[in-house]
Amino acid sequence: MRDRGETFRNGAIQLLLAVNAVIMIYPLFVMVASSFKTNAEIFSSPLSLPTHFSTANLEKVWTETNFVRYLANSVGITVASVALILLFSTLAGYAIARYQFRLSSLVLMFFLSGMTVPLKLAIIPLFIQLDTLGLVDSYLGLVLVYVAMGIPSAVFIMTGFLRTLPRELEESARMDGASELRIMWSIMLPLARPALVIVAIQNAVPIWNDFFFPLVLITSDNLKTLPQGLTVFVGEFTTDWGVLFTGLTLAALPITLLYIVLSKQFISGITQGAVK
Amino acid sequence: MSRRRIGLALASASFAWGFASSVARATDISFWTWRQEDKAAYNELFADFTKANPDIHVKFESFPDENYPTIVSTALAGGKGGDVIHTHAYGWLEQFVKAGYFEPLDMAAVPSLANQPADALVSGTYRADKKVYSLPFASQTLGLFINKDVFANAGLTPPITWDEFVTVSKALKEKGIYPLANGMGTSWFNEMFVAIFTNPFLGQDFVSDLTSGKTTFKDPRYVAALSKLLELRPYMPDGFEGIDYDTAGQLFLSGKAAMLAGGSFDIATYRSQNPAINMDFVAPPMAKPGDTPQATKFFDGGYAVNSKSANKEAALKLVNWMGTKEFGDKFSALLGNISPIKGVVIKDELLSHVAKLNDTAMPHINVVYFRFEKPTGSELLQGDITKMMSGSITPDQLAADLTDGLAKWYKPFQGK
Amino acid sequence: MTDGWRHAGRPFVWRRSLWISALLTPALVVMVLFVLWPVLSAFRFAFYDFNGLRPSGFIGLENFRQVLFEKPYSDWTYNALKHNVIAFLALMLFENGTAFLIAFALLKALPGHRIHQVIVFLPVVLSAVIVGFLWRLFLHPLFGLVNQLLGLVGIGAIPWLGNENTALGSILFANVWHWLGFPTLVLLAGMQRISKDVLEAARLDGAGDYALMTKIVWPLIAPSVTIVTILTFIGSFNWFEIPYVMAGLTGSPGGSTDVLGLYFYRTAFGSTTTGIQDFGQGSALAVLMFVFVAGVTAIALRYLRRREIEQ
Repeated sequence: MRDRGETFRNGAIQLLLAVNAVIMIYPLFVMVASSFKTNAEIFSSPLSLPTHFSTANLEKVWTETNFVRYLANSVGITVASVALILLFSTLAGYAIARYQFRLSSLVLMFFLSGMTVPLKLAIIPLFIQLDTLGLVDSYLGLVLVYVAMGIPSAVFIMTGFLRTLPRELEESARMDGASELRIMWSIMLPLARPALVIVAIQNAVPIWNDFFFPLVLITSDNLKTLPQGLTVFVGEFTTDWGVLFTGLTLAALPITLLYIVLSKQFISGITQGAVK
Repeated sequence: MSRRRIGLALASASFAWGFASSVARATDISFWTWRQEDKAAYNELFADFTKANPDIHVKFESFPDENYPTIVSTALAGGKGGDVIHTHAYGWLEQFVKAGYFEPLDMAAVPSLANQPADALVSGTYRADKKVYSLPFASQTLGLFINKDVFANAGLTPPITWDEFVTVSKALKEKGIYPLANGMGTSWFNEMFVAIFTNPFLGQDFVSDLTSGKTTFKDPRYVAALSKLLELRPYMPDGFEGIDYDTAGQLFLSGKAAMLAGGSFDIATYRSQNPAINMDFVAPPMAKPGDTPQATKFFDGGYAVNSKSANKEAALKLVNWMGTKEFGDKFSALLGNISPIKGVVIKDELLSHVAKLNDTAMPHINVVYFRFEKPTGSELLQGDITKMMSGSITPDQLAADLTDGLAKWYKPFQGK
Repeated sequence: MTDGWRHAGRPFVWRRSLWISALLTPALVVMVLFVLWPVLSAFRFAFYDFNGLRPSGFIGLENFRQVLFEKPYSDWTYNALKHNVIAFLALMLFENGTAFLIAFALLKALPGHRIHQVIVFLPVVLSAVIVGFLWRLFLHPLFGLVNQLLGLVGIGAIPWLGNENTALGSILFANVWHWLGFPTLVLLAGMQRISKDVLEAARLDGAGDYALMTKIVWPLIAPSVTIVTILTFIGSFNWFEIPYVMAGLTGSPGGSTDVLGLYFYRTAFGSTTTGIQDFGQGSALAVLMFVFVAGVTAIALRYLRRREIEQ
C-alpha cells in the first residue's frame, strides 16, 4: 500500500520537475533555433526547427555590428574589476584578520556598512564625482565603481576566511626570518584560494551582466559593454528577428558555457551570503 | 583641483588598454546623432565637405533614439560629446542651451543662417536671448502613407475624408487586410499619431486660441477630436495596444496593412527596406469634404556646436556648410527629408508632394509649444493616450490631465 | 598575543603601522571616494536646486514636497510605488512560492535532481537585458512565441506588453523565469540543513508529504525564508533592468509598468522626449527610496528573526 502511494507521489514530483525544466529550457532552445532561421521563417513558422542551418544572421552580426568590440569591452572590464577587487580586499582582509591594531574593528565596520548601501541610488553624486575626476565615459571610471561595489562583501568573506587559517604557519616562518610580505604572499594567500574563487565568481557574474552603470557612465560606442551594446543592436535591427535572436544567443553564450563547466562554483558563489 | 589630480594619477597609473578617450587629431571632428539609419548618407555628405575642406575629417557617431537625450546631456555635462550635435528643436534644445552646452551661432561664423526661413529659425532659437543655437536641418511632415498596390488590388481608392476613411477601412477589413497598420506600442510615436488624426478636426483657429490663452485643452473641440481616435480602433491590427511603430512599418511594407500614419522622415527608410513599394503620402482624413488638407508639420531639429569642443572652428565650418544649398539639395535627395534651406530643389516626386502638403499644414502643437518645462505636454500626453485608447480613461480625462499638468508652468492655463 | 612585532621595540612599531596602513589604503581610498562620499552627497543634494549638473541653491525640503505632494509628480511617485509593492507581493507569491515547491520536490533527491538544479539556475546567470529582450520578442502580439502557441489552441492575439492590464504581469513573469533558480536553491540549501533524524522521526510518526512540508520543513527553514524575503524586498524596490528593457523608460503603456527605479532614472537623467534633467528631485527620490528600503528591512529583520527564535 505505502509503496504504491510513494510511487505515485514520486511520479507526481517528477512530472512537476519535468514541466518546470521545460519552461526553463524551451525559451532558450527557441532562441538558439531561431538564430539559424531567416526572418520570414520566424514569422511564418516560429515553432518549427530551422529547415537548414543558415549562418547569414551570424555573418551579419559579425560584420555589421560592433558586437566583437562590446564583447571585448565586457571581458576587459570584468577581468580588471574582479582582479582589483581580489587584490584590494585580500590586502585589507589580511590586515584586519592577521594583525591586531587599535582601529581594527572600526575599519571592519566601515567596510561592512558598505554592504548595506545600494550604490545605484547614489548614482547622481557618483556621476558628479567621476565627472570631477574626468572619468565619465572611460573604462577606469566604470571599473572603479565596480571595485567600490565589490569590496565590502569581498573584505567580509576574505577576513572571515583568513581568520580561520592557523597561526602556527605564520609563526614558524617569522622565526625563520621571513618578511611580512613574504609570509602573506607565499604562505598565507595560497591557502586562501577557495575563498578567492568564491569572491571572484560572486563579483564577476553581476559585473558581467550589469546594465545600469554603463547606461549612465558610458556613452562612446567603442567603450560599451555587452548588455549595453545589446540595446544599441536591438535598436538597429528592430524588425530583423533572425539577427536579434542571433545577437541574444551570442551574448548569452560565453557565460552559459562557463556556467555549464563550473556550475557548482557558480551556484555557491552567487547564493553565497544567502546560504549560511 | 586636488580631486582632478587624483583622477589623473589613477588614470596614468592604470592598465594598458586605453581607458582615457583617445587623443584626437586636431582636424578630426565628430558628429553625434540619433539617426542611426542615416549613416551612409551622412558619410557621403561629409566626404563632400572634406573634399572642400581637406584638413577636416568628420566622424559619424549614432546612438539609440530612446537614450539619445540622456547620452547627450550626460556627455555634454561632462565636457565631452561630439563637436557637432544633432539636436531636436524647441524645448529639447532649450534645456541644453540653458545649461550653456552649445555655442550661439551668428552671421559672422555661420553666414548660411541667411538661407533659413524665419519659421525654421524659431525652432533653433533660445527664447530667452533670441540667439540661434541650432541650424535647422529639416521640416518633418506627419500624414498618412498609402500602399497604392494594396488599394488597387482591393479595387478601392485612398480616402480623403473621414467618412471615406471609415467606408474604405470596412471594405479592407472584410478582405483580410488591416486598414491601418499603427499600434500603440511606441510612446514617442503615439504623440505623433494623436497629432496626425486630431489636427484636421482642430484647425488653425484652435491653435491660435490655444496659444493666445483663449482656451485650453479642455476645449470641446479638442475633446471631440480625441474621441475620433477611439473610432480608429476597429481598423488597427489585432492586439494593436502592443504593436510598436517598427512592427507597424513592417505590416505596411509587406502589404498586410493598407495605410500607416507616419512621418515623412521614414520615406527613405521604407524605400530602402522595400524598394518595390508603390506608396503615396497624403494628408490624414479631413473632417468634411472641401476642407483644406491638413497634415502636421514641425521642424525636427538642427545642428549645434558643442561649446566645449576643442575644434570649435572646424565644427562651425561644418555647420555653416550644412546650411548651404549645396548641402540641402543633396541632403534632400539622399535622405528624403525636406530641407528648409531656401532654394533647395526637391526632385523626388513623392517628396515634392509632401512639400506641397506643408503649405497648408498644422503645427505639431505639443512639440512646438509645450516642451519647454517640466512636466512637458509630451510626457503627459504619452502617459495618458494608451489609457484612453484601451478605454480606461475618457478623452475628457486626458484633456483635463494635460491642461492641469501644463498649468504648472504654462501661465495661460492656470486656474482654468 | 602572537603578533611577531609586538615586543620588538620602537622602529618596528613604526614599520608595523606603515605595513598595516599600506594593506588597508587601496580598499579604503576606493570606498571613501566612490561609496562614502557619494552616499553622503546624495543626502545633501536632495536639499538643493540644480542647474544642469551643479547644485545652485539650498531649497530645503522643496524637492521632497514636490515628489510627495505636488501633482503630477506625486501621482507618478505613488503610481510607481504601487507597482513596486505589487511586484514584491507577486514575486513573494509566485516566484518564492514556486521556488519552495520545487525545492521541496528536489529535497527528495529523486533521479535527475542534480541536473534540475543546474537547469533551474541557468537563467540566473544571464543578464537581465538578455532575458528582457528575449521575452519581449516572445510576447510580441503578432509574431511572438507565446501568442503563436496560444493560437494553436484558438486564443487570439493578446497584446501582452501593450495592454495596461497584462503588461506588469508579463514583465513579472519574465522576472520569475529569470530569478526562480535563486530562491529555489537557497531554500533547498535551508531544507538540506534540517537534520535527517527529524525528518525520519516525522515519517515514522506517519506524517505524509503535505504534513512534512507544512509542519516540519516550513518552520525549520525560517532563516532561509527570512533571507529570501529580504532579498526579494530589496530587489523589488530597486527593480530597473527588466522593466526598462521590456516596457521602456516611461513604463509603457501609460505608466502601467512604471516603477520607482525607472521614475528615478527618468527624473535624474532626462525623459525621452526632452532630456530635461533634475538632479535635485532625483536625489530626493533616491533618499526616500533608500530610507524606505533600509527602514522596512530593519523592521522586517527584527520581526522575522523573532519568528526564527520562537520556532
